[in-house]
Amino acid sequence: MSTDAIAILGFFALFALMLLRVPVGMAMGLVGVTGYASIVGIGPALKLVGQTSMRTVTDYTFGVIPMFMLMGALVSVSGVSRELFKAANSMIGHLRGGLGVATVLACGGFAAICGSSVATAATFSAVAYPEMRRFNYPQSFSTGVIAAGGTLGAILPPSTVLAVYAILTQQDIGKLFMAGIVPGILAMTMYVLTIMVIVKVRPGWLPGGEVKPWSQRVADLKNVWAPLVLFVFVIGGLYGGFFTPTEAGGVGASGAFILGVLRRKLDGPKIREALLSATRTAAAVFTVLIGALLFGYFLTITQSPQKLTEFLTGLGIGRYGVLALIMLMYLVLGCLMDAMAMIILTVPIIYPVIVHLGFDPIWFGVIIVMTVELGLIHPPVGMNVFVIKSVVKEVTFTTIFKGVLPFILTDILRLVILIAFPIIALWLPTRMG
Amino acid sequence: QDKPVQLKMSSWVPAQHPLNPSLQAWADDIKKASNGTITAVLFPSEQLGKAFDHYDMARDGIADFAYINPGYQPGRFPIMAGASLPFLFANGKGGTAAIDAWYRQYAATEMKDVKVCFAFVHDPGTFHARKKILAPTDIKGMKIRPATSTIGQMVTSLGGTNVQASAPESRDMLERGVADAITFPWGSIGLFGIDKVVSYHMDAPLYVTPFVWAMNKGKYDSMSAAQKKVIDDHCTSEWAEKVATPWADFEYGGRAKIAAQSGHEIYKLTPEQLDAWRKSVAPVEAQWAESVKKVGQDPKAVMDSLKANLAKTSSAL
Amino acid sequence: MTAGSDHAPKKIGAAGDRFINAIEWLAALFVGIVALNIFLAVVLRKFFDTSIPDSYDFGRMLLGILIFWGIAATSYRGGHITVDLVWTAASPRMKRWIDVFATVVLLFVVTVQTATLFDKVRGTYVDHVLTYDMNIPTWPFYAVAWLGDVSAVLLIAIRTWRLIFHPELLHDEKPEMKADE
Ligand code: NA
Ligand code: NA
Repeated sequence: MSTDAIAILGFFALFALMLLRVPVGMAMGLVGVTGYASIVGIGPALKLVGQTSMRTVTDYTFGVIPMFMLMGALVSVSGVSRELFKAANSMIGHLRGGLGVATVLACGGFAAICGSSVATAATFSAVAYPEMRRFNYPQSFSTGVIAAGGTLGAILPPSTVLAVYAILTQQDIGKLFMAGIVPGILAMTMYVLTIMVIVKVRPGWLPGGEVKPWSQRVADLKNVWAPLVLFVFVIGGLYGGFFTPTEAGGVGASGAFILGVLRRKLDGPKIREALLSATRTAAAVFTVLIGALLFGYFLTITQSPQKLTEFLTGLGIGRYGVLALIMLMYLVLGCLMDAMAMIILTVPIIYPVIVHLGFDPIWFGVIIVMTVELGLIHPPVGMNVFVIKSVVKEVTFTTIFKGVLPFILTDILRLVILIAFPIIALWLPTRMG
Repeated sequence: QDKPVQLKMSSWVPAQHPLNPSLQAWADDIKKASNGTITAVLFPSEQLGKAFDHYDMARDGIADFAYINPGYQPGRFPIMAGASLPFLFANGKGGTAAIDAWYRQYAATEMKDVKVCFAFVHDPGTFHARKKILAPTDIKGMKIRPATSTIGQMVTSLGGTNVQASAPESRDMLERGVADAITFPWGSIGLFGIDKVVSYHMDAPLYVTPFVWAMNKGKYDSMSAAQKKVIDDHCTSEWAEKVATPWADFEYGGRAKIAAQSGHEIYKLTPEQLDAWRKSVAPVEAQWAESVKKVGQDPKAVMDSLKANLAKTSSAL
Repeated sequence: MTAGSDHAPKKIGAAGDRFINAIEWLAALFVGIVALNIFLAVVLRKFFDTSIPDSYDFGRMLLGILIFWGIAATSYRGGHITVDLVWTAASPRMKRWIDVFATVVLLFVVTVQTATLFDKVRGTYVDHVLTYDMNIPTWPFYAVAWLGDVSAVLLIAIRTWRLIFHPELLHDEKPEMKADE
């Protein structure tokens, strides 16, 4: 069998195993090693398993992943999301659509310290959904805005997917985080505008909440100092060159811990919960990383990435044509896969194409993360939607997808803007060192 | 007619590194000499595995040829570590001929799991720092990214601490103050943008990093007698020098490039200062001698042989 | 099935749960230690201009320990990243078959991984690989990490057995606790 045939067979086997619910990392590892063995031999293939597994889990730079996860988990259990939402709500909740806007703002604030989009969506399903329902917001809108707001978790720094992209492509994590800031703010702005358009088109659909006295507003606003301090400290330290990314994560987690204890928001069981949740997510992500590296070595010896690059550039559809094709592929993959798995599986193959076409790797990181995040909210499968459904039992999938539709349109528009004006993502990182 | 053989060659340096074209030229010559029966694909940039694992990769057949930095794994190759002791090598080209001739005596025992093709070094590197390092006592309290574990031991013995980072990460470490200094050859300073973050360069051939180009034994054994001869003819001191020369030239040229830039101070050491440095590394040499004794070799004989080879190629310091 | 034989698996179940909790705890503890190690290293560097010897090597080896022990717990709890498209749409009978298949594959893959990792740990011991600063042998750290993978095999074996014979004893993670990005 030719190496090309083996590579193609490998992809089919991979998808079959994944659809049969074999964990993504294990499926990639199994197919990668089997394919590798069929070309190089079983002995080297088995050695590769031990070597790659051990090297990956003891790679210091990968420490950034569990550290930012721990920081997010500690902040989550300290009830920061509730404080953020309360502050935003008491400022603007009384306006028509104001509760929706407050949800977007609070999601953004939370995203600035939590690296996960699913965690952001899960948190606000518990915090913001009951409040929106109390003021008769429709189920579809309430869940839709949370699903969309959740994606900010991965776009605004810190972001686990951006960190993994950086590691896979050997780009600077700090620069990628900086590149996420302006597009993240753009995303928030466009979500707010979307809500305002909805209010205009369907008056009465999103009623105003209650008006809070100014004393209350000031009091609520004061409560958000802790996450603000943490964000400025961690991201500022990274930008200013005080910490390496792994250190920023470790110091951020320690900072979240210290702030939580000082503000009496953390007790034994909560600390336990945060440590456990960081461990679980980190273990799951590393499993996929190991699998992807093994699959990657298999693809390397079949030289498929080079062949794919030659094929795509030989199509004669221009660099933006190829880019559009790639993004379309991501949207299709987003029908079945989780964001992290998609990034880890595809970046080693797609990245050489992108570099060959002369696109900026930092800019592409932002684009690709936004595209896979879109996969988390578009039908038929979307992690954010599933998570909301698991918290808000009474709502149907169809209702959530209906509510998220306007935000999907906004997301696509935002992607077009970012492709047309890469400077939006690149301005901040180019000002760094 | 010999059956065709395809070799996977792994180099962990980035694609644009001067070592890669040399290795490619070496492989092209093998192809010619074997009438096209031995072909090779070079995989740079850790495409087949991480830098640290390259010895194991050659041993296990993950790569058929691998570019190995034995100094990445402290304790594993004690004899070779002797070549990374400070103040031995004066230049990279003669140094390569010397280390290759010297290590041929020990390769079969110390690196018994692979077939060592040849050994080589880069042009000597030195301290590049954010502050001026004149005397060994200046190292105390400094955070330094060492090139090899031997230099790391020197740093520790002088009261400094080691910062571990890959070459591409080094600039970041210096910029963020995680490290105050780095030991690096001259040309690579510009290649990795480190000239933007350090300004003091000690003008002394402090150390070299020894490297090995090694082959998987099974692959060698699977070849025909004629093919084996082609490989043997390309695993010689002459080829070691040919492969190492463009890189050595590149590193050597880096000194002049930095000297031409403003904001950089390249300073010489007085004979007294140099003497102090040589004396200060005695504990590291003693530590090295101990580790060599443990594997049943005589450290004095090993070191004398290296020095004799260096003298022969006029690359002794 | 008699009442007596029904009792035994529950007992095993309780013991198994304690074992799993202990493993998860160990992993979680290591996450905290890794954060503390980084925090101390930064504080010492910034304010005291010094550093913990070998904090880099310790940090990365602790990371290895936490990940392998974490994988053990995650594998048992069904917390891995999976593609649920077909599974969600399947009938309960089909679901069970898919679950059994996926778990058996998981068991196979992790068993192979554990065997090959043993080889790696042994290599670290035989080749005298030391830490950078203090020249401490590294193999004990690798061995502890490897034990995490061994317990992963045990736990997945328990999971496979429970899945086939006592599905009611499994407590899988809810989606909102699952890994993600
Ligand atoms: Na975030
Ligand atoms: Na989707």
